[in-house]
Amino acid sequence: MADRCTETATRPHGDRDSRMGADRAVGLGSPAEPRWRSAARPRAGTPRGRAAGRARSRLVAGAGLLVALAVAAVLVPWLGGLDERLVDYTAVRLPPSVAHPFGTDAQGRDLLLRGFAGLQVSLLVAAACAVVSTLLGALFGAASGVLGGWPDRLLMRVVDTVNAVPHLLLGIVIVALYRGSVLAVIASIALTHWTGVARIVRSEVLSLRERTFVDAAISGGASRWRVLRRHLLPAIVPQAALSTVLLLPHAVWHETALSFLGLGLPPHLASIGNILGEGRAAVLLGSWWIVTFPALLLVASALAVAGIAAWWRDRALPRRRSELGL
Amino acid sequence: MTDTLVVDGLSVRFRLGARGRAGTVRAVTNASFTLRPGRLLALVGESGCGKSVLAAAITGLLPANAEVAGGVELDGRDLLDAPESVLRAVRGSRVGLVPQSAATHLTPVRRVGSQLVETVRALRPTDPDPRATVHRLAGDVGLPAEMLDRYPHELSGGTAQRVGLAAALAGDPPVLLADEPTAGLDRLLVDRSVDLLAGMADRGHAVLLITHDLRAARRVATDVAVMYASRIVEIGPAEQVFSDPWHPYTAGLLGALPDRGFTPVPGHPPELTALPAGCGFGLRRPDLHTCVPDPVLVWSGVRAVACEPVKAS
Repeated sequence: MADRCTETATRPHGDRDSRMGADRAVGLGSPAEPRWRSAARPRAGTPRGRAAGRARSRLVAGAGLLVALAVAAVLVPWLGGLDERLVDYTAVRLPPSVAHPFGTDAQGRDLLLRGFAGLQVSLLVAAACAVVSTLLGALFGAASGVLGGWPDRLLMRVVDTVNAVPHLLLGIVIVALYRGSVLAVIASIALTHWTGVARIVRSEVLSLRERTFVDAAISGGASRWRVLRRHLLPAIVPQAALSTVLLLPHAVWHETALSFLGLGLPPHLASIGNILGEGRAAVLLGSWWIVTFPALLLVASALAVAGIAAWWRDRALPRRRSELGL
Repeated sequence: MTDTLVVDGLSVRFRLGARGRAGTVRAVTNASFTLRPGRLLALVGESGCGKSVLAAAITGLLPANAEVAGGVELDGRDLLDAPESVLRAVRGSRVGLVPQSAATHLTPVRRVGSQLVETVRALRPTDPDPRATVHRLAGDVGLPAEMLDRYPHELSGGTAQRVGLAAALAGDPPVLLADEPTAGLDRLLVDRSVDLLAGMADRGHAVLLITHDLRAARRVATDVAVMYASRIVEIGPAEQVFSDPWHPYTAGLLGALPDRGFTPVPGHPPELTALPAGCGFGLRRPDLHTCVPDPVLVWSGVRAVACEPVKAS
C-alpha cells in the first residue's frame, strides 16, 4: 500500500491513496511524509497476499453462486411449468439442445428440470442433516468437556462406538429400518455425522477452560453454567458454525451415495444421487450429459459453501479478523 | 560501522477494520537512533507508548495488519523490507531477541536443555559439541546446569528469563534486543538480569534494553532514549540525560523515581488512535511544555531532544 499520512491531525488517517495519488501528493505535502508499506510477512497459518480482498471475493463468489443455485432450484421447476417426472419415450437420451439444455435421460425426462429439482431435494436434505448433527454434536461435546470425569469418558466412548461402525453401513441400517423416505435419509446421515462436531467442540472446551479468562470468571464468582454460557460457548460458536457449513456438501455427497446405491430417496423423487445412479449405465452408451450436468451442480454448490466457510473462518475470531484487516 | 543497527525514521501504524475504517493506531512515529557495539541503549517510556512494537518492527515480527515506513539497517543492509530468507539469516545469528515473558516462549513439551541444544545446532551448524556450548551458555547467564533437565513450567520467572537470554545468545549475535526482560521479576532478579545484559555490552555486543523500569535503565544503560506517545522525545548518553533532562517528560519520569521525590507524572498519555500534532506532552502538562506541530529530534553534540529548545551539551 502506498498510503501517505500527513503528520497533522486535521487529515484523517483512513485515507486510501492509490500509488498515483501518493505521487501527486509529493508536491503538496511536506517532504517528510513517510512511505507506508505493509509489514505483513508470510508465516505459518497466515495467508499470503491481500487477505482482505481475497476474503471478500470468496464471500461474494460463494454467496452469489449459492443464491443463484438456490433461486434456480426453486424457480426452474416452477417457471418451467413442466413436470420433471414427465417420461417421454420419443425423446430418450437426447444430447443438450435448445429444447433440453442439459439433454434428457434414459426415460426421456428433461435433465435441466430434473437436475434443479434434484438439487432442491439434495440441499434441503443436506441442510437438515447439517443442522441436526451440529446441534447433537455440540450438545454432546460441550456436555462432555464441561462435565469432565466419568461422564466425559462415557460420552466419548459412545462417540468412539458410533465412529467404529462405517458411516455408510450404519446409514444403510437406519434407512433399511424405515424404508426409503426423506426422513430416513436425513436421520441416517445426521446420526452418523455428529461425532466429528462433538470431538471438535469437546476439545475446544477442554482447551478454553484452562485459559486464564475462565479462571478470572470463576474467581469473579461465576457459576459453571454461566462460564459455559457467557465465556465458552461464544468462543465455540465459530467452530460449530464452520462445521455445520462444511457438513453441507458432505451431506449432499452422502445422500448422493445412498441414492446411488438405491438405498436413498425413492426413485421417483429426483435427487442428484438418484440421477447419477440411474445415469451411470448410460455413460457407457456415450450419453455423457446425464451425469455431467447434475454432477456439476453438485460440485458448484459444494464450492460455493466452501467459499462461504472460508470467509467465515477468517471472520469469526476477532483476533484473526484484525490481523487480516477485515 | 560494523554490527551497527541504524533505525532511520521508523514509523509503524496498525490499521483497524477493513482498510483502516475503524481507525489507525500510530504505534511508532519517526523513530531514529543508532545502536553501536559495546553500548547499551535503554528505551524507556510508559506502557503503551510503542516500545515493544519498535522491537517487533526491527525483527520483522509485526502482525499482518501493521504498516511500516522509514528504514532499519544492520551493517548497511536493509532489514525492514528484506525478504524472509534474509531475515532468517539475520535472526538469531545477527540479532538476538530476549523475550518479554520467557516462559511462554519455550515449547512446553520439551526440556529446556534440548531446546537450547536445538537452537545452537540451528545457529551454529559447525559446532562440534552443541551440548558443551549449551553448558557454557548456561554458565554465562548464571543458569544452574541441573535446570537444563527441567520442563519450562518447572522454572521460576527469573530462571526462565535466563533460559531466554541463553537462547538469544546461542548464535552469538552482535546485536541483542531485550524486550522488557525484567517484567514480573523482583528487584534482585531485575538487577541480575540487566547486569547480564550490561556484561554482554561490555563484551562488545550492541544491546537495546526496552523497559519501563527507569531504575534498571539507570543502573546499566550507557545511552537512553525516552519514548512518549509513539515518538522518541529525547536521546543521549545516560549520565547526561539522567542528571540534566532536557525534555520535561524525561524530567517527569525521573521525578517518579523513589530517590527523586516519588512524584508520578500526572495525567495520561494521549490515545495512539488520535495523536496530537506535536509530541503530545503539551496536552498533559500545558504549564511545562508547548508542542511544536511536527517535532523532529534536534541534535546538539551527542544529545537530541524533540519539541524543546536544545541547550549546549
